[in-house]
Amino acid sequence: MDGFFAGIEQLALVRGLKASFVAYPIVNALHIMSIGSLLTSVWLMDLRILGAFRSLPQAAFIVLLRRIALTAFAGALVTGSLLFSVRASEYAAMPIFLAKMTLILLAGANFLVFMRRAKGGDEPGGGAMAVLAVLSLVLWTSVLFAGRFIGFLG
Amino acid sequence: MLSPFIRGATLAAAVMLAAGTAAYAHHGWSWTQDGFFELKGRITAIYIGNPHATLDVDAKGEAWRVEMAPPSRTIAAGFTEEVAKVGDEVTAIGHRSRDESEKRMKAVRVIVGGKTYDVYPDRVPPA
Repeated sequence: MDGFFAGIEQLALVRGLKASFVAYPIVNALHIMSIGSLLTSVWLMDLRILGAFRSLPQAAFIVLLRRIALTAFAGALVTGSLLFSVRASEYAAMPIFLAKMTLILLAGANFLVFMRRAKGGDEPGGGAMAVLAVLSLVLWTSVLFAGRFIGFLG
Repeated sequence: MLSPFIRGATLAAAVMLAAGTAAYAHHGWSWTQDGFFELKGRITAIYIGNPHATLDVDAKGEAWRVEMAPPSRTIAAGFTEEVAKVGDEVTAIGHRSRDESEKRMKAVRVIVGGKTYDVYPDRVPPA
């Protein structure tokens, strides 16, 4: 595994990013843009499921925001992988980084459970769905905090 | 139904922010002591790159992490991968972590091979 992470650090693209004065801050900014969009759409969707903004039609509202959230997650995944790549072995050994990855997996599992129940006909306003929405809010917000702490711990 | 939840979420956010303020930070200088600190040792690893440059230093058997400036500032100070190599003697002057059990410091000046590199020129000790 150490060799794998060291190999990532040696890729030409990654070496360029490591030494760049411009590309790295741009990737960093795009990561912030992605996680900002992701967190905003997650919060709005979950709050709608929990009963806020009742004047907005739920189905259309959720469809739009889910599309934004999935696009933003893809952007965060690409830019985050690039930020990780410059010091892959260092980050991979940090407990706070591993905590963030675990939280993302939990948030993803929570999303899949929600989608299965929605397909199975559960009303979004129901008790189980509300619990999943609260879990989603807590997990994604924790991902954000864990991510920010990578720069401050370790 | 919503407002107790929002109150709960706001409280949770406040607690997380407070915890964040209490934790030491490697960004910036808030995690370092005010007084100057000098570390002498042998370089075991050099990283000149984003998000900021670091040296790993063996000082009398203790493994230290010396943090420097972002790569643009570090290279502007003349400190590049060409001027130092693993095994070189190094003197780092700067500020150590407030938590003295943590073998970590942030350097404002690095001396290698008889040459001085001021990676934070506006923070170096008065001559």
